[in-house]
Amino acid sequence: MRKTPVALALAVVLATSACGLGSTASQEAATVTRVPELRPDQQVSIVFESYNFGQAGAWTDTFNELIGKFQQAHPNIHVTAQKPQGNSPNPATDTVPSIQAQMAAGSPPDVAQLGFSDLDFTIHGLGAKPLDDLVGKDAVQANFDGAKYPYAPTARTLGDWDGKTYGVPFVFSTPVLYYNASLFTQAGLDPANPPKTWDDVQQASQAIKARTGKDGAYLDCLTKSAKDWCFQALVRSNGGHVVSTDRKSLDFADAPAVEVVKMAQNMVNTGSTPKLTQQQGYEAFARGDIGMLLETSAIQAQFIKGAKDKWDLRATTMPTFGGKPAVATNSGASLFVFSQDPAKQRAAWELIRFLTSEDAYTTIASKIGYLPLRTGLLGDPNGLQPWAAKNPLITPNVQQLAHMEPWVSFPGNSYLQIRDGMMDAVEKAVYQGADPQTALTSARDAATSLMPAGR
Amino acid sequence: MFVEVALPPPIAVPVAERPALVRRVLRAAPPYLYLAPALTLLVIWTYRPLVQTVQLSFFSWNLLPTQPMVPAGLANYERLLELPELGQAMLRTLAVIGGLLPFTVGIPVAAALLTRRIRGRARVVYRALVFAPMLVAPVASAAVWRWLLDPSAGAVNRVLGTTNNWLHETGSANLGIIGITGWHLLGFAVLVVTAGLAGINSDYSDAAQLDGATRGQVTRWITLPLLSPTLVFLTLMTVLLSAQWTFPLIDALTQGGPAEATTNVYYLLWDYSFHSYDAGLGAAAGIMLFLVFGLIAAGLVWLSERLTFHDD
Repeated sequence: MRKTPVALALAVVLATSACGLGSTASQEAATVTRVPELRPDQQVSIVFESYNFGQAGAWTDTFNELIGKFQQAHPNIHVTAQKPQGNSPNPATDTVPSIQAQMAAGSPPDVAQLGFSDLDFTIHGLGAKPLDDLVGKDAVQANFDGAKYPYAPTARTLGDWDGKTYGVPFVFSTPVLYYNASLFTQAGLDPANPPKTWDDVQQASQAIKARTGKDGAYLDCLTKSAKDWCFQALVRSNGGHVVSTDRKSLDFADAPAVEVVKMAQNMVNTGSTPKLTQQQGYEAFARGDIGMLLETSAIQAQFIKGAKDKWDLRATTMPTFGGKPAVATNSGASLFVFSQDPAKQRAAWELIRFLTSEDAYTTIASKIGYLPLRTGLLGDPNGLQPWAAKNPLITPNVQQLAHMEPWVSFPGNSYLQIRDGMMDAVEKAVYQGADPQTALTSARDAATSLMPAGR
Repeated sequence: MFVEVALPPPIAVPVAERPALVRRVLRAAPPYLYLAPALTLLVIWTYRPLVQTVQLSFFSWNLLPTQPMVPAGLANYERLLELPELGQAMLRTLAVIGGLLPFTVGIPVAAALLTRRIRGRARVVYRALVFAPMLVAPVASAAVWRWLLDPSAGAVNRVLGTTNNWLHETGSANLGIIGITGWHLLGFAVLVVTAGLAGINSDYSDAAQLDGATRGQVTRWITLPLLSPTLVFLTLMTVLLSAQWTFPLIDALTQGGPAEATTNVYYLLWDYSFHSYDAGLGAAAGIMLFLVFGLIAAGLVWLSERLTFHDD
C-alpha cells in the first residue's frame, strides 16, 4: 500500500524525463539574411576551431601567429582558437564528430575548418551558413579574386554546392611522391629520374629493399585513418570513381578501384611496402627508413626537419597507372561559418577573409608547406618567389593543382560509415591480405543501404 | 405556512482520524526522505538515461538538434543483427575476457600466496611494486607502451630479437591490448586477493598442520575454498568490465584497428554513437549489450551462490 505512491512517483519522473531527446518534427532551415558590417567599437568574440591546432610544431605555431596578426588588425574582434575534441592521432579525423558534439550541446564554434570529405554533410546536416547569402555573392567572389592574386580556378569552387558558396577553400595539398634521394643513390637508382608509373615504383622499391635493406615505398592512402582523399586520387588515375557523378551509386567495387587495391596489395606482399600505420609510415620516412612516400604536403615540414643534414629529400608528381594520366585530388579543408548571431557571423567572415588573404598564404605556404591557393604569389618577388626558388618541393604540388579534381564527399547522414567501411575494406585487403574484390564488394553492399533514398 | 424544522444535529467530524493519518505519513516518511537524494540521483543519472536509450533505439537520429528524429521501429535492431561486425566484435570481447582471466585471477592468487611468505619491509616494497601500474593513467600507459612496442626502436622487439609491429598486425594487436590491460589490472587483483587471504582465520590451517597436513594440502583444501568468494568476485568483474577496461587503450593505441582486430563490443558501440553519430544504432547495440551482460551477470551470481564456500 505504502509502496504504491513511491512507485507511481518514480514512474511519473521516468515518463516525463524521457522526453528530453529531440524533436521528431523536421525544422525549417532558418533563412539567412545579409549581415551588417561591424561598427569600429563593436566588441565581438568568436570561436575558431581548426585541426591545425591539434598538432604541435609548425601547424600550431603558424596558426597562432596568424590569429595574433588578425587580432592586431581587428582589435574589436576577439578570437578563441581551439582544436577539435577527441584524441585521434590524426586530429583531422575528429573534426565533424567534434562539431556534432558541440552542436548537440548547443554551442557550435563560429568558424570551423572542415574537410572536403564532409562537404555534403556540413551543408545539409550541420547547416553551415551560405556565404553568398551572408555577405553577398559579390563579396565572396571579390575575396576569391583577392587584392592582387586570385585563387587557382580549380580551387575556387571546392566549397560550393549547387552554385552557392558555403565554404572558402583554405588549406590543402595534392598527393605528392616524396623520395629519399640518398637511398636512391645507394640503391643505384638515378635520383634525377624518379619513378613515373606505379610499375616503376615497384621496381625502385625492390632495388632499395635489396641493396640498402630499407623499405621501398609507403602509400598514405590505404588506411581508415588516412581517409579517402588520396585513395580517390588513385582510383581516378586508374579511370574510376568511388561514387558515381550523379551521387546515386557507389562505384568503389568496380574494376578500376579493385585494380588499385590489387596493385597496393602486391606491393605489401612482395615486401616493397612495410606494414605500418599512417603515423608509423610517415615517421619512418622522416627518419630515412623508407625510400618513397605518397603523402600530403601538410607534413612536409616534418620531413624537412628529419632530413636536415642527414639525407636528401625530394618530391615529384603522383605516379600514373601505365599510360593513363594521373588525376590528383585535393586533401584539406574549407572554412565554414556556423554562428547564428549576425555580429559573430560578420566577425567570422572577417576572420575568413584574413586567413585566405595573400599575406596569410605567404605565411602558411612557407611555414607549413600547404599549397598557396593564390598561385600568383609564387611569381611575386615580394611574395613567395624567393621562397619557392629555394624550395623545389612545392613544384609538383603546384603542377598538379592546375588540373586537379575535387575530393568527393559521400552523400547522406551516414557518409562517414560509408567512407570508413570502404577504407576498412581497402586496409583489410592491402595490409591483411583479404581478397580485394570480395572485401570491396561486401563493403559496397553494406554501404548501399546507408545511401540516402531519393536523392 | 412555514414549519420550523430543527436543524439536524451537526455530524461529528472525525477530527481524531486526520492527524493520525498525517502523523502516520510523517512517521513513515523519514526513511524515504533519507533515501530521496540517492534515489533522485539514481533516477536522473541511471534510469532516465536507460529509458532514453531504449527510446532512442527506435529512432534514426544523429543527435543534431536541427535534425528530426525519424521513427525507425525495429530497423536498428534488424540492421544490427545483420551486421557481421557485431558477431565478430562479440567473439573478440570473449577473447579479451578469456585473455584477462589469468591476469585477474590466476597470477594474483599465485603472487599473493607466494608473497605471504615474505616478511617485513620487503613485503611492503614488493606489494607496492605490484600495485604501481594501477596508479598509472591508462592513456599515459598507452603512450609508454606505444614506445615499448614500436616495431623499429621498441624495447620489446629488441629484447625478443623480433621485428613485430605488435599493435598493428591483426594477429598480435588484440594480444597487445590484453597484455597491457592485464599489466594494468594485476596490481589491483593482487591487492584484492591479499585482502581475501588476510580475512581467512589462521586457526584452520594451524589445526590442519597439527594434524599433519602438508602446505600444499592446506592451500588446496582450506585456503582456496575459503578464498572462493573473492575469486568469484574477480571473475565477475573481469567478465563484466573487461571490455570497458580495454577501451581507453584501444582508443589511444589502435582505434579498433588494424582491420578491426581490436574492435570489441564497447568500442563498436562508441564508434556507432560518437564517431558515425548513428545514435539509434548505438542505442540499440547498447540495449542488446545491457540485456546480454545482465543475463550473464545473473547467471554468474547464481553460480557463485552454489560454488563459493563461506566461513560462517
